[in-house]
Amino acid sequence: MTALSFRKSLALVCALALLLAGIGGVAAQEPVTITWWTLASAESPEPAIRAVIEAFEAEHPDIKIDVTIMAESAYGDLMNTALGAGEGAPDIAYFWETPWLPHTLDITDHLEADPDLSRDDYFAEYFTNWATWNGRVVGLPFTVGANFVMYNKDVFDEAGVDYPTADWTPEEYIEIATALTDPAKRRWGGDRPRGPFRAVWRNIGATKPYSDDSSTVEGYFNGPESVAAYTWLWDLVASGATPTPADIEVLGTEGTGPVDLFIAGRLGMATLNNGHMITAANAGVNFGIVPEPHVPGNERFVHAWALRASIWAGTEHPDEAYEFLSFWAGPEGQRINMEIGALMPSLPAVLADYPDADSDYFQGFMGVLDATQTAEWRADHPCWRGAVIRAVSDAWDLIMLGEIERDEVQATLDSMVEPAQAALDECVPRLGG
Amino acid sequence: MKTDRQALGIQRQLRRSARRKRLLRISGHSIVYALMIFLAIVFMLPIFWMASTSLKLPQEIFAWPPEWVPSSPQWGNYAEAFGKYPLARYMLNSAILVIANIAGGLLSVPIIAYGFARFDFPFKSALFLLMLSTMMVPGHIKLIPLFWLYQKLGLIDTYAPLILPSYFGNPFFIFLMTQFIRTIPRDLDDAARIDGAGNWGILYRIIIPLSRPALTVVVVFTFVWVWNDFLEPIIFLRDWDSYPISVGLAFFQGRYSVEWHLFMGATLVSIVPILLLYFFAQKHLIGGLASIGVKG
Repeated sequence: MTALSFRKSLALVCALALLLAGIGGVAAQEPVTITWWTLASAESPEPAIRAVIEAFEAEHPDIKIDVTIMAESAYGDLMNTALGAGEGAPDIAYFWETPWLPHTLDITDHLEADPDLSRDDYFAEYFTNWATWNGRVVGLPFTVGANFVMYNKDVFDEAGVDYPTADWTPEEYIEIATALTDPAKRRWGGDRPRGPFRAVWRNIGATKPYSDDSSTVEGYFNGPESVAAYTWLWDLVASGATPTPADIEVLGTEGTGPVDLFIAGRLGMATLNNGHMITAANAGVNFGIVPEPHVPGNERFVHAWALRASIWAGTEHPDEAYEFLSFWAGPEGQRINMEIGALMPSLPAVLADYPDADSDYFQGFMGVLDATQTAEWRADHPCWRGAVIRAVSDAWDLIMLGEIERDEVQATLDSMVEPAQAALDECVPRLGG
Repeated sequence: MKTDRQALGIQRQLRRSARRKRLLRISGHSIVYALMIFLAIVFMLPIFWMASTSLKLPQEIFAWPPEWVPSSPQWGNYAEAFGKYPLARYMLNSAILVIANIAGGLLSVPIIAYGFARFDFPFKSALFLLMLSTMMVPGHIKLIPLFWLYQKLGLIDTYAPLILPSYFGNPFFIFLMTQFIRTIPRDLDDAARIDGAGNWGILYRIIIPLSRPALTVVVVFTFVWVWNDFLEPIIFLRDWDSYPISVGLAFFQGRYSVEWHLFMGATLVSIVPILLLYFFAQKHLIGGLASIGVKG
């Protein structure tokens, strides 16, 4: 009897202990914290970031977001350091650099299982070019960006030059730029492209710097269409109708477009983007938008991009991270950023509700989006940005600085084939074709 | 008569010579002052442009011809800049970092330099060279190992990574201070020792009071370096409210454009502490640098 009581007592104690442990376990279960690194920008300002977090946490009380808001100029160093250290990277961040792609989590399964979001909700080309890589879904496209030519109507009117139309050619671009240039007023007619194999290159017919299977540079980078495009650049530089690289460097707008010069009326035309478009509209500039010039008969291209919002492959909470990613880069998060900031969402259904959707500039921007994107070079051919472009940059620099003659363009490109091929051969095993 | 005339002639010549000398001195000074005023204007131009830009509308900034003094100054730009980001908080954070780093430098540098300057110990030269060689390592190379280390120590998103190193001595300052201490006569140490002072007593009663010029260099340089440091705060800090002013200013540089008018206003305010420090410390600073350079 005593033994039975003891056994019963022991079982009772064990059961009680298990029950308490269970209760304690439930009580101790804390919300999962997801770390998020992002940027404060005009499109997505700090209040919009806070609003996204607030809305998400209200919907998901079991997930907390620990955000780090960084400045644009600091972001690359921060990501490189964390990814280089192999730990301490955030669960969610922009993974915009090509070499960061191997560090992203493949979210194909998460997206396919998501009842509220699918790849079809996004602009198709933006999703393909910016959210997929080597057959994996490596993120979601956040916002849309595209280049186009903005022209200052006041400058055109003053010079008595007709506004450009969508069917203009690269040669007409040089002619108009030359007509608008007025050295006495320190005014240039147009600006220069900011890299080869972007829209004008493709519109001239220089399709690709190397073969589709990422194996051969010879005949592509130095092919006749490529030579024609580089020669057009040479003509543009020689026209004197554009600011020099030194002018642009001094004015501090290299890389993103000389929007300050354009706003000041010292640049008649400039290849800018939708971020610049908002800046110019806010500054009260009287401007219009046309696609970049192209050769009749050729396919029309647009240089376009999205911010790649991704999950770090080293995350300990992939499911919770996806929950937040799909909220932030999905309809709700992008709508919040559009309404509080000036984001152009990558989801057509949300972009349709853009506050200035009826404006001329917005309509012009939407028209540009119809063209084929040159950005496929980043998704299908990551080695272009990842390595090859560095090997051929000398050709670009020599022309931009006026260091070679027009008839030396072909020979210059020929001399770059070997280093470009070596860079491609090195990169393809690392980043894929 | 003849002698008087000769004396008058000599006097006249002397007067003429003195006048010529005075004219030469005045014209020499005038040239020097003109040159200095010219150089001062040249060096002040960027600050003037900064001030001018901070009072302009965006479309006026790059207009031609440039308007050096805006016709309608936009004083609201300053309020807008400080309203857009918590810049006052960031300046306070920078001040905290500066004070903590200066304290660290003043505590650690004299002790280490005193050791190198006054004591003999095994491998002293090798250790001194090793310390100096750390100055040659570019900062970027150390970032990933430091990030890894502080991550392991749980110190990311604290000020510790930005402050702790100063308590272990900065090699540049240690080098400067060692050279300076070597110029202080050892007789003073001996006299203090006869009076009963130990090594610490000599350090705090003799060496440190005599090293004020070198310590001023430590203070001023630390102030400027920490105030302007951008890279380390962005790597080690995470909290929006914990950034220093150097990071805060970077927010005006967006993805597609720079808000120049706000950026210049905020930058102008942010350099005021450095200008004030230099203004009040310049006598000691120049004296300190000169004495280290001459005697070292």
